[in-house]
Formats: sequence, C-alpha cells, structure tokens
Amino acid sequence: MIEVSHFTKRFGEFIAVDDLSFTIDRGETFGFIGPNGAGKSTTIRFLATLLRPTSGEGRIAGHSVVEEPMAVRKVVGFMPDDFGVYDGMKVWEFLDFFAVAYEIPRDRRRTIIGQVLDLLDLTHKKDDYVNGLSKGMKQRLCLAKTLVHDPPVLILDEPASGLDPRARLEMKALLNELRRMGKTILVSSHILSELADFCTSIGIIERGRLLAAGSIQEIQRRLRSHRVLRARVSDESADRAASILRDHLSIRSVESFDHSITAEFEGDDDDMARLLRTLVTAGVGIVSFAEEELSLEEVFMMITKGVVN
Amino acid sequence: MFFRENPVPARELSVNLRSPRAFALQFAFVSFLGAVVYFAWPKHVEAGRLVGTGAAQNLFNLFFLGQYFLLAILAPTFAAGSITGEKERKTYELLLASPLKPSMILFGKLFSSMAYIIVLILSSLPLMILCYLLGGIALSEIARAYIVFFFSAVTFGLLSLACSSYFSRTSSALLVSYLVILPLALVCVALTRTDPAAEDTVTRDFISIAILPPWCLAIWTIVTALVTRRLLRPPDVGSEGKDVVDEEEEMKFAIGVVIDRDLFPDKLFAPAKRNDLMPDGTNPVLDKELRSEIFSQGTLMLRVVIQVSMLLSIPLMAVFLFWKPDQASNYIAYIIIFNMLVGPVFSAGSVTGERERKTLPLLLTTLLGPGRIVWAKLIAALRVSTVLTFLLTEQLFLAYIFVPQLQAVFWRLAVDLLIIAVSCLATTSIGLLCSALARKTSVAMITTYLSILVLFVGPVGAKMYFQRTIDSRIEEDRIEVFSVLSPFAAVFSLPEANSDETRASAGTGDHAVKASSSWMIVGGVSLPLWSVFLLFYPPFCAVLYGLTYLAFRRRWWRAGIE
Repeated sequence: MIEVSHFTKRFGEFIAVDDLSFTIDRGETFGFIGPNGAGKSTTIRFLATLLRPTSGEGRIAGHSVVEEPMAVRKVVGFMPDDFGVYDGMKVWEFLDFFAVAYEIPRDRRRTIIGQVLDLLDLTHKKDDYVNGLSKGMKQRLCLAKTLVHDPPVLILDEPASGLDPRARLEMKALLNELRRMGKTILVSSHILSELADFCTSIGIIERGRLLAAGSIQEIQRRLRSHRVLRARVSDESADRAASILRDHLSIRSVESFDHSITAEFEGDDDDMARLLRTLVTAGVGIVSFAEEELSLEEVFMMITKGVVN
Repeated sequence: MFFRENPVPARELSVNLRSPRAFALQFAFVSFLGAVVYFAWPKHVEAGRLVGTGAAQNLFNLFFLGQYFLLAILAPTFAAGSITGEKERKTYELLLASPLKPSMILFGKLFSSMAYIIVLILSSLPLMILCYLLGGIALSEIARAYIVFFFSAVTFGLLSLACSSYFSRTSSALLVSYLVILPLALVCVALTRTDPAAEDTVTRDFISIAILPPWCLAIWTIVTALVTRRLLRPPDVGSEGKDVVDEEEEMKFAIGVVIDRDLFPDKLFAPAKRNDLMPDGTNPVLDKELRSEIFSQGTLMLRVVIQVSMLLSIPLMAVFLFWKPDQASNYIAYIIIFNMLVGPVFSAGSVTGERERKTLPLLLTTLLGPGRIVWAKLIAALRVSTVLTFLLTEQLFLAYIFVPQLQAVFWRLAVDLLIIAVSCLATTSIGLLCSALARKTSVAMITTYLSILVLFVGPVGAKMYFQRTIDSRIEEDRIEVFSVLSPFAAVFSLPEANSDETRASAGTGDHAVKASSSWMIVGGVSLPLWSVFLLFYPPFCAVLYGLTYLAFRRRWWRAGIE
C-alpha cells in the first residue's frame, strides 16, 4: 500500500534522510520510531506530498507521491505533528471546510460529519469554536479532519504527543478502532509502549537511515541469536528441572535462582513445545513457562546503540 | 538598572544588529542620501565659498522632511512587532513570568526598537554638516531638527509599542500604529518644518523647543502607564488568551462604530456566519477567509481603522471637497494613502499567516489546487480592502452632487473611483505576492509597504526632488515616464474643478506646465496620464497574480514546509 524506495532528502549540506526504503502492506499498522531529528517527520511529509525528495520515489496505493500528488491526497489522511486550527470557526464548520476541500458533495457531507464526530466522540463539541478546544480535543478534531474523505491510508505524525494519560489511552483506542476498520496506518510516536500494543510492524530510523524494519518479533530474532526461556517451577522440582534443561540439546545455558529458571534456547516453536512436554512428563511442577520477549524500548535501545547494522 | 541589568535590549540588539541586513540597510540608506546630496549639490561651488541660503536650505529642508517621514514609517516597523512578536513566538508568557519589571521590559523593547533608527538618523549627520558648509544654516537649526527627531522617534516608538501590547497580531498592530502616527507626523511636520519661505522662525522654534517636548512627555507618561499596567496584569495570556471572541458580546462594549454582519455596508466585507453547510462548488478558502477569519482576533482593529479614517476624512472633506473644491484631488490622495496602509494588512499575511499558525500543512494536503487557494486569498483580501477604502468615497459622492464646481466635472468622479479601485487592486496584488515569497508576515508586510511606497510615491517624490533641486543633472522627461506607476500622479493629472481663482488664472504658465505633464505619448498616441495609469495597472496586476501563483506553487504547494 505504501512503498518508499531510496528516498533521500538533503537540506543544503545536511542529509536529513539517506536512501530510505521500506514497504507497508494493506491493512498494516506501521510504527515509525526514531530519536528526535532522525528524519521521521521528513519522511512523513514526503509521503504526505508536502516535500519534494532530493532523490528516490514513494508510492501510495499505486500512485507516485512525486508525480501524482492529487491522486495520493485522495487516498491519504494526514495528521501533522504540530498543527494549528482556523480561528473563528466552529467544530462542524472546520470539518465542513475540509470536506468541501476534499470535494465531498453537500448531501453526503452532513452524514459524514455526523459519523466522524460520533467516532471521535466530539458530537457534544459540535458547536464549540475550534480555538477554544483543549489540546486533546484539537488532536481528535485533526484526526476527525483526516477521516472526512474516508481515506484507506492514514499518515499520523506523533498523534499522541502532548496529551494527558487519559487522552493518550483514548487516542490509542481510536487508532485500534481505525485499524479494525481496515485502514493502513503509518504512525510515528515517541511512546514506544503504545506502538508495541497495536503496531503490526515497525521501522527504526536514526540519523536519516533505516536501521531495522519488520514485525517486532522478526526484529527481536535478528537482535538475538537465541531465544530466552523463563520458567517458574514448584519448590521440590527446581533442581530436577534445571538438570533436564542442561541436558537438553536445544539449551545453551541455564541459570537458576530460587524457583525461577532462565535458559538460552536454540530452536523453533515445535522444539519449545517438545521441551515443555519433556519437563511435564518428568514430573516437574510447572507454574509458568514462556519465552521472554524484548520490549519495544529494549529493541529500540539495542538498535539505536548500533547492535544491528 | 534600566540598561545594564536589562537583558531585553541586549538580546534584541544582538539579534537585530548581528544580521548582515542591518549593515546592508544602513549602507543603502547612506548611499541614497549621498545620491540625494550629489544631485542637489550646486554645480559651481568653489572651495571655501558660500553659495547662500537657497541651496543649503533646500537640501536641509529635504533632509528634514525625508528623515522625518522615514522615522514615521520605520518606527512602527521596528516597534509594532516587538510585543506581538513575543506573542506569536509564544515567548510572551515566559517574558512576563521573569523577574523583569514591566517598565524594564517596555524600556528594553523601546530602546532596542529605536536604537537602529537612531543609528540611521545619526549616520546622516555628516551629510547634514555638508549642507552647513554651504552656508545659510545655523548650527542651532540642525540641533533643533535633531530635538524634533528625538522626541518624535520616542513618541512614535512608544505608540507603536502600545499598539503591539493591545493586539495579538503584528499586522494589526502595524496598521493601527500607522493610522495613529502618520496624522501626528503630518501635524508635527506642519508645525516644525524648516521652510525657507517661512519668515516666522520664532514661532517654529518655540513650538519645536517649548511645545513639542512637554506634549511628548505627557504622551510618554500616559502610554507608559497604560502599557506597564497591561504587562503587569496581562489580560491576553493563559486560558484568557485562548478565549474565543464573542462578536455579540464585544459589540455590547464597543465605543463608536459597531460592526453588524447583517447590515449594509458591513456585510460587504464581513458576510454573516453560516448556519448550515457550504453549498457545492463553494471555494472553502474564500468562505473561510471572509466569514470566519476576518474577526478571529476580534473587531477592535477594524473598528479603530474605520473610526480613525472617518474622523480624518471629515476635516479633509470640509477643506478639499466643500471649501476648496478645486483641490479635490487631495481628498482622493487621502483615500489612496488610506488604501496603501490598509490594503497590505489583508493580503500580506494571507499565506505567511497560514504558515505561522501551522494550518498550511492541513490546507496543502487537501485536493485544493494552488490556483484556487491563491485566487481565494486574492479575492478575499481585495474585497475587504476595497470595501473599507470605498467607505471613504461616500463624502466624494456628496461633494459631486452638492458642490456646483464639482458638478461641472462630474465625469471625473468615475475616473476618481476607477483610480481608487485600481489602487486597491495594486496594493492587494503586491501584498499577496510578498506573502507568497516571504516566510514571516512581518517581513511580507514591510516588503509590501516599501514596494508600494516606491511605486506610488517614488515617481512623484523623484519628480518633486528634481524640480526643486538646483541645476538638475537628470532630464525630467526620464522621470516623467515613471509617473504612470503612481496613482497620485494620475489623480493630480486630472483637471480640477474650475473655482473662481483657477478660472482667472486659466491659460497661465502654471496651467500650461500642468497640462504638458498630464499627457503621455504611448505608441505615437497622446493619452492623458490617468488613462495610461488605468490601462497599465490591470495587466500589471495580472502579471503579479501570475507570479504569486508560481511563487506559491513552487515555494509552498510542492516544495514543502520545513
């Protein structure tokens, strides 16, 4: 649905984005992660047809971002990281303005504005002036604006920045709802735990270069040569469990503390299932048995430290 | 305390004077004055020989007037944005929350705004001394001129700062500052100018030294008290600053003019707000500009503009339309000056304003093409500017109906109105082009004012300069060609109503000179200057519109927002 190939953007001598390439499939929610100044917003503005590339190409729903900006705008809803609102306009006027700007006929506009206000829980603010809204409400209003033309692709630059915890949770719920509606979403955020919950894939960018892209699990596997198993066993079977694990072919090392055992495991999901069966058959009292996953923060820190090239 | 421990002037001066622009402007200013002196310098001056009062007084007079109006024009450009700039950059609350006293902030802002202008004026001192060397001017005369400059500069600066503290946008503060300062400047110049023909120098000196300073001190005291009180308890920060303007509530407390969107002529520039969705085919940008954004910062600015312009028009109407109808052109000139001030406010900020308020990325990612956006901006700005300007033509209609001398040249009314309309088109087009090219509204506004000044006043000023200077080295005919750019030249080229005096002097040398300069030969055909003006500007504005479209398309629509 979204395809960026060899995108480079220079501002004078400064290279903001260097030879960036990635693909996002239809219906995917792609989290774009990177420190401040990494080139996220530059890439997002390029995809939103606001920035000409120094070189490279981008395609959204088959349309070239460079050659067919109008066709791209029809299928994209864009929410910038820092935006203003038009003073002296009411919420419904603001949405009507953008609906007209997206060429939606009047007979459909009333229904669409009502639906969007409902979805974003803004119906009670319909007759309020936009410049009097709180930051959270303005973020919702901007998201409402991106939805008036029902675009299949949403490009959201830091949609939750500056929001209080409750507004963040509400924004997350909204994005989940949009994902369920089948939208393809490219979203950037600094709050990595939020992205981890609903992104199907991520891209990590630093100093204008894409360091890693793919699902979080895929990236994890690339980060670690092995998987980590964590088991909690009953008091009397701790030694036996550790001994079985040490003798197992798929296990590289075992550490045991109190009733918890951590083991480095080399193998696939079937091997792991077989290992669990072995432990159960041997009469080990298992309280919990799971693969330890890296958090998105850990993945991000490892990658941006240069662990992966 | 006000200077040594005050970080405001240090910061502002370092920002202003560090830029190469400051040196470039000073270089241009001194070069321009140098050229003025060079062309006006008497041809046969021998070393050490005085040439008498005429030449020196002429030059000195020119310097005084030129610098005084430069002061009146530059003071608001530096001072009117100094507090609104803080509001626009969102540093206003940080500044007010600092331990700095309001008086220190005000002094810092005033000093930093005025310092550069004072440097500019002082840099002209060597050239003024050259005039002194020609003889005929006393040193006390030069000192008196600098006293007038000093008191006027501080007064203009403080008034602009007051406007800056009352308005939230630089464009509004700048316009209202001009509307307040320019009439004051005219009165001050009329009372203190160094006219060689004036014999009553005692009254002039008395006004300059004994009347002007105390009046200025009184203004300083009042303005300082008002501004410091506003800085101490600002009504426009925090949640109060975000308050939505309630037009109806505002009108209840309005003094003087009340704007009602449902009534004529107010609905011409501010159509009523919509109660329902826009019809299909509406240009949303045009609709938004006229119905929502025009009063987004309140109606204060427009009410001040309408009231001040109307107030000034009353004595001018009485004098130039009813008492001396043979000088009706002066009233048209006033309307054009009003448009020169008002026109750019609605156009020069129309693109930069979107950028500054961060709404441009939202607008540019819709399906609206650059043509529709630029066209809507042009029409909205032109409509507001034209309607406000034409409010002043009501007096003109009355005069043409009731004054017999003007009835005799009734056809002139149509030409007057056309010249005013074309001037409105020109000021709006120039403003919009500057807005598409600049990054900041303040820069766009100043560039627009300068461009309009060069086009509208430049040809007339150059002509007057070469007519008055001795032994002109440039042929007047070459200057005459540029008169086509000036609506003032066009208006004054029209035949005046025949009063008793003009009838008596018909056919005299003066009239013959005027008649010869009122015609131009275009492609072998002799045409009146006003008709060439009316023929020249519409295609010229079309070219400006084309350039605006290209600039907007290239600079913003496809080039990206950084």
